Amino acid sequence: MPATKVAAQDALGRVQAALGDKAVEPQVNFGQVDIACAPEHLVEVASILRDDPGLSCRFFTFLSAVDRSEFGDEGQGLEVLVHLYSPDHVLHVNIHVPVNPAAPVCPTLTGVFWGASWHERETREMFGIHFSGHPNLTNLYLPEDFEGHPLLKSFKLPSRLIKEWPGAKDPDEAAAGGR
Amino acid sequence: MAVAPGVRDASEVAEEISSGRLVTEEMLLNVGPQHPATHGVFRLLATIDGEKLVDAEPVIGYMHRGYEKLVEQRDYRQITNLVSRMDWLSNIQNELPLAMAVESLMEIEVPPRAQYLRVIMCELNRILNHLMFFASFGAELGAITPTFYAFREREDIQMAMEAATGGRMHFGFFRPGGLKEDVPRGFIAQALKGVRQVIDRLPDYENLLLGNEIFKQRTIGVGVLEKEVAYSYGVSGPIARGSGIDFDVRKDEPYLVYDQFDFQVSTAPNGDCFDRFWVLVHEVVESAKIVEQAFEGLPSGPVMGKVPRVVQAPVGEIYVRSENSLGELGMYLISDGDRRPYRLKIRTPSYNNVSALGHVLRDTFVSDMIAILGSFFFVLGDIDR
Repeated sequence: MPATKVAAQDALGRVQAALGDKAVEPQVNFGQVDIACAPEHLVEVASILRDDPGLSCRFFTFLSAVDRSEFGDEGQGLEVLVHLYSPDHVLHVNIHVPVNPAAPVCPTLTGVFWGASWHERETREMFGIHFSGHPNLTNLYLPEDFEGHPLLKSFKLPSRLIKEWPGAKDPDEAAAGGR
Repeated sequence: MAVAPGVRDASEVAEEISSGRLVTEEMLLNVGPQHPATHGVFRLLATIDGEKLVDAEPVIGYMHRGYEKLVEQRDYRQITNLVSRMDWLSNIQNELPLAMAVESLMEIEVPPRAQYLRVIMCELNRILNHLMFFASFGAELGAITPTFYAFREREDIQMAMEAATGGRMHFGFFRPGGLKEDVPRGFIAQALKGVRQVIDRLPDYENLLLGNEIFKQRTIGVGVLEKEVAYSYGVSGPIARGSGIDFDVRKDEPYLVYDQFDFQVSTAPNGDCFDRFWVLVHEVVESAKIVEQAFEGLPSGPVMGKVPRVVQAPVGEIYVRSENSLGELGMYLISDGDRRPYRLKIRTPSYNNVSALGHVLRDTFVSDMIAILGSFFFVLGDIDR
């Protein structure tokens, strides 16, 4: 069955109708639906998005996180980011789940999408977010004795602290007379 | 008949086996991290009971290079060459979603000639990638001959890419806004020669494997990936299409100028090793047809849009995806207005595809393991990025 694309505004309406007030600040961003949701609603929201016939976001694209602590002037918090896709309706939904940066916990999606397992393990080791209910939350990439969570903004690359990047990085810094 | 102490009578053991009373013990078998069927450093922790795979857990991370951290320290020009190294068989395609994401945020219009040339190079790259897996899958199942043919056909296309970009592996040719430079004289003739050879000769090669009785016995009905399982793991590319999923970003959400070309999305219904390979082989011809059509319609003009001297994406976020050789390659770019990305989440096809491998391998036989591993067409650099 060939996929038929749903217009972005129509998709937004469908998501709002299916999720009600569990979808916070729904909007359209570059043709994709963007919603925020509280961690306690995430499993329900993902299940509805997957099972609702008008949405059927059955394709698990990715799960990751964003550390927004250095974003803009005052900075923002830590969030889990889930992207689901509907192959039938060509419809994308980005779910932003803000978590508490001091003790980040988020319920696991492994009961809704099997593919979430690896993504959650990666997010746990890279951001230190605990996924409650995950069957095997061990490191995926990093050695077990690795200290720190590399993708947090507070984690600095040691080699860059010691020595600046060698050579001119920007056209403005390049020596005059070259090109 | 007397038997030595400690050795059991053979007839007694035979009786236990036939009556099903034989007590077997599970054994842990380490496959890898170095194994020719894994195209990189990949370990499979297999629990086997006799010939049966009770459980199989892929262990990855031996090549993790931390690209998502590194890109936050580099500007967009530098990242092009980093992401090129993720999937080392689809290098130029890796550069595409990054360029498209930056172009969308900065509202840069890419000239038509650059768009056509991007399509041509991506499809040439897809042919190179698929021929490589055509060769290696045959070799893994014990057929050496396809390797020589595949590499011979790759050479002309490889030379065309080398003439244009200067590299045989890492091209570094796409820039936000267009291409590094126009293609050199002779590129079109060289590339067309390559794709025509592929179109002419591929049917013969197909029969080498797809028509081969031994190949069929080792692949038909082996390692079945069900449709719903594929969705749940986010499996894309030839592997998903081999499970009957009509899912191709080039058709569903055409980017560049893919909507201008006439091509088929190959799907096969059974989800076994044979169907995955069948889809892979048939995509080669479709890619070759796209290249031919793109050369016919290739417009003249500049290959670089109006791009400021310093590429600096405005505040915003965007998810951009493209159809890589092995599936959906997506990049979620968050920019805070700097010349470096604030965060770039890279969603690679092999990562999601291989996460389903444990599920498929469960309850299969050790003798089928290599066929299943090989038919998942993954590149470790793409998983470990």
